[in-house]
Amino acid sequence: MSTSSPVTRIRDHATVRPHAVALRDKHLGVWREYTWEDYWEQVQLAGHAYLALGLEPGDRVAIHAENRPEWLIADMGALAARAASVGVYPTNPAAEVGYLLGDSGAKVILAEDQEQVDKTFEVLDQAPDLRKVVYLEPRGIRNRYDHELLMPWEDFLELGREHRDAHPDAIAATMDAAEPEDLATLIYTSGTTGPPKGAMLSIANVEFAIRILAEEGAFTDPPPGPDDLLLSYLPLSHVAERIFTTWFNASAGTQVNFAESAETVPANLREVQPTVLFGVPRIWEKLLAGVEIRLSGASWFKRKVAAYWLKVADRLGHQLVANGGAHTARTRLVYGIGYVVFYRALKDRLGMRKVRYAASGAAPIAPEVLRFFMGIGVPMHEVYGMTENTAVATANRPGRIRLGTVGEAHPGVEVRIDEATGEILTRHPGVFVGYWRKPEATAEVLGADGWLRTGDVGEWVEGTHLKITDRMKDIIITAGGKNISPSMIENELKASPYVREAIVVGDGRKYLTALIGIELDTVGEWAQRKQLGFSTYKDLTAKPEVVELISGVVKDVNTRLAQVEQVKEFRLLPKELDHEDGELTATQKVKRSAIAQMFDDTVSEMYARSSS
Amino acid sequence: MSTTTSTPGAGSSRPAARRGHRSRRPGGRPHFYRSYGQELALFNTRPKLSGVGAIILVALVLPFMLADNLLQTLALAFAFAIGALGLNIVTGLAGQVSLGHAFFLGVGAYTAAAISGDPDGRTIGFGITNMLVWLPAAGIVAALAGVLIAPIATRLRGLYLAIVTLGLVFIGEHIFREWRDLTGGAGVGREAATPELFGFSFARSNALFTTDQNLYLLMLVLMLVFALGARNLARSRVGRAFAAVRDRDMAAEMMAIDLPRTKLVAFGISSFYAGCSGALIYSVIGFFEPSSFNLLLSVQFIAMVLIGGAGTVAGTIMGALFISLLPTLTRELPAYIPIISGSVTETPNVFQLESILYGLLIVVFLLFEPRGLFGIWIRIRTYWKGWPFSY
Repeated sequence: MSTSSPVTRIRDHATVRPHAVALRDKHLGVWREYTWEDYWEQVQLAGHAYLALGLEPGDRVAIHAENRPEWLIADMGALAARAASVGVYPTNPAAEVGYLLGDSGAKVILAEDQEQVDKTFEVLDQAPDLRKVVYLEPRGIRNRYDHELLMPWEDFLELGREHRDAHPDAIAATMDAAEPEDLATLIYTSGTTGPPKGAMLSIANVEFAIRILAEEGAFTDPPPGPDDLLLSYLPLSHVAERIFTTWFNASAGTQVNFAESAETVPANLREVQPTVLFGVPRIWEKLLAGVEIRLSGASWFKRKVAAYWLKVADRLGHQLVANGGAHTARTRLVYGIGYVVFYRALKDRLGMRKVRYAASGAAPIAPEVLRFFMGIGVPMHEVYGMTENTAVATANRPGRIRLGTVGEAHPGVEVRIDEATGEILTRHPGVFVGYWRKPEATAEVLGADGWLRTGDVGEWVEGTHLKITDRMKDIIITAGGKNISPSMIENELKASPYVREAIVVGDGRKYLTALIGIELDTVGEWAQRKQLGFSTYKDLTAKPEVVELISGVVKDVNTRLAQVEQVKEFRLLPKELDHEDGELTATQKVKRSAIAQMFDDTVSEMYARSSS
Repeated sequence: MSTTTSTPGAGSSRPAARRGHRSRRPGGRPHFYRSYGQELALFNTRPKLSGVGAIILVALVLPFMLADNLLQTLALAFAFAIGALGLNIVTGLAGQVSLGHAFFLGVGAYTAAAISGDPDGRTIGFGITNMLVWLPAAGIVAALAGVLIAPIATRLRGLYLAIVTLGLVFIGEHIFREWRDLTGGAGVGREAATPELFGFSFARSNALFTTDQNLYLLMLVLMLVFALGARNLARSRVGRAFAAVRDRDMAAEMMAIDLPRTKLVAFGISSFYAGCSGALIYSVIGFFEPSSFNLLLSVQFIAMVLIGGAGTVAGTIMGALFISLLPTLTRELPAYIPIISGSVTETPNVFQLESILYGLLIVVFLLFEPRGLFGIWIRIRTYWKGWPFSY
């Protein structure tokens, strides 16, 4: 009896439903389908190719590409060959690619195109173990680059085919030899503070996550199945997208559809109309802002109708929240009428008409945003987990939602709060093995008793639901000694369509202030309607009218906050925060320390003015 | 619409997999194209299919609700619609302006009349009254005439082509007037083809239906067949070549589209439709004379295509119905507006008003709604498609 793993599950699907659709990607305007048979065949070829390149069990393979079928094929092929995959974010600059390659000691890297190949070559000296650079898109590379390490994807598969002809049973043998303790993947945490750390997830960890989240349906009810469609658009290097794309697909047989690019996600959502949809707060905030922009540009009659039904949706949202997310007879009737005239069309335009389960996770989100989607009829759930516990911790269950909490612990998962520090701890078979080559860092978070320190501070609500206060290290203690969670205030601000980023500061100060980054799309649109000319982002942020607009947002948020939590002063960030400039992590999380340093003058200015 | 093969023989190498285990095709996602064929499909969305089905159902019920004289007008309108569909192919789809449609109509009408005519009568007749013979023959002879004209069209464009085809109408009118053996001569005329199928005459009442109900249903079915043909043509390789020639002939040629051949095919098919239409129109009326095939008839067809919506099948049918029903409406006018007379001898009379209306409608539509009646529909559809947004 061999160890069950995602790749053995793919093999099972290929025998049970060889002609059902496993993956789709858009090619020349048409969604090209990969059946389970195709998928399994390619996974085997990739596995054989790794063996042909001399990879040993436990070796690492880096994947540096946007979401596409080859990502999954390379990942699962590595698992079949008992190697582990390391996802590299497509937005990672060369320096970080170099760090990841060097730290992980990857022997093969799959680079998507010329841009990513260039990054690898730039840092080749930091990656002494690298044996092959396999590229997917030949444009700009074929006939132009000549390097012994380079190999096109087709040749890579051909290598696998030759290896299979010579050793037909090699992959079956390695799969049979696989152990639950085998390293399945290295997932590098985004590293808001230090350099990224590679979290080691074993096959046992992954299988536990699959059992809890997919098979036992800890998120969805009923559990995902072959009739579910998903859109894969968040970075696969992140544990959340790996669950919803790779592992849901391998275990439940869901149909994965790859978005063409980050920009086309709204259009792809409309085409695919997924049934299960996971998003990070930024995505939901942006979708919400998109609705507001497009409604403001609609004709008079449409605007009036929308305003009315959105008001109803807001009321419905409140009632749903009060009822745990389940409908009462009355709300069902009101929603039914609204569905015919408004919500159906709105959800169709958003690409959420068929969504039976939507989830937000990976970062805190403002309850207003969740309530909006619940009101228009998208069953929205906030879930919680982190790389180090294979994203298995808590989730709001359909019908038992408590807004503002991250839900209840999954069955079979231990979650407790440290009495002294308020830190959340989890313990279950999905807790990771440790950080790659960083035993000290591992010891900091993982006790000998198996409890994982999450680094999040939280409390219990009604004894069942977990509410996260903030990241432990982000908690602000004002000069008055008050403990304040900045992310709650930031999310209130970010719920406005005009605000993209908000960074609340005030540690050791008398009061709170904020650095606010505006959303270029919405504020630009707003400025155009006000006949306000502007040239660049910086120019726009300097307009007194824009400052006035954001000031209104801040004032509105302040009315909902306690005295000490109110933002007394704010400044607009003169530039859009960017990963490449080191202000955001690869997952678009703000690096507080970097920002605080960069805008030190601005911050002290905010405190200087009032004290004088 | 599952593509699970129902024939066990197909793909027998992996039979267990072929059947049963295939997950269902994701439905209700109109923009989710998984093949190019899906976009080219006749009815690419379910609402379209059910909408057309509903309209056809209403049309089938109508003969039992409406008065017989209105049914005859509608039967005639359907026959006209077939001709308009033909003009739509050459003008709306392939972009070749043709004013000579009346000529092809005449060729078809006389061919049919001659084949089904009484052998012992005053005019030429072969006594083959079966529709299955005279209808295709009318189309084929007209198509041959079209193919003869086409070489001119390949060398001319726009206004020049319009003038040449205009000349065709006058030549045709002259021939029809002079060839007395065939046409009976000006002012006299001849019997039209008899609508008969294997001895069953549609032009007579029977136990089930009246004459007008018979003719209405016959014309409806024929129009649907021709409309389906036109719609299928438009989405085929040939139809796409037509559209490419219309949009820019030089660009089309660069895409390896054979211009002379494409135009030849366009004229041929268009004339086939015209010939069939001519034969059918007069088989409903029963009698016709050579001066019918004049410029006004051509203009009427142009009006149908332009008012309906050039390049669209549904629009052309709408336009044909609109123009054909227009006289029924204007004839009511004298009762409401006293200065307009119902008599031919007085001025202003309704017939003059009709001519003015044709012209006026063409001008108004070209200026304000170039996509015709179909354009109005498109506009309404876009408004609701965007709901609740505007774009």
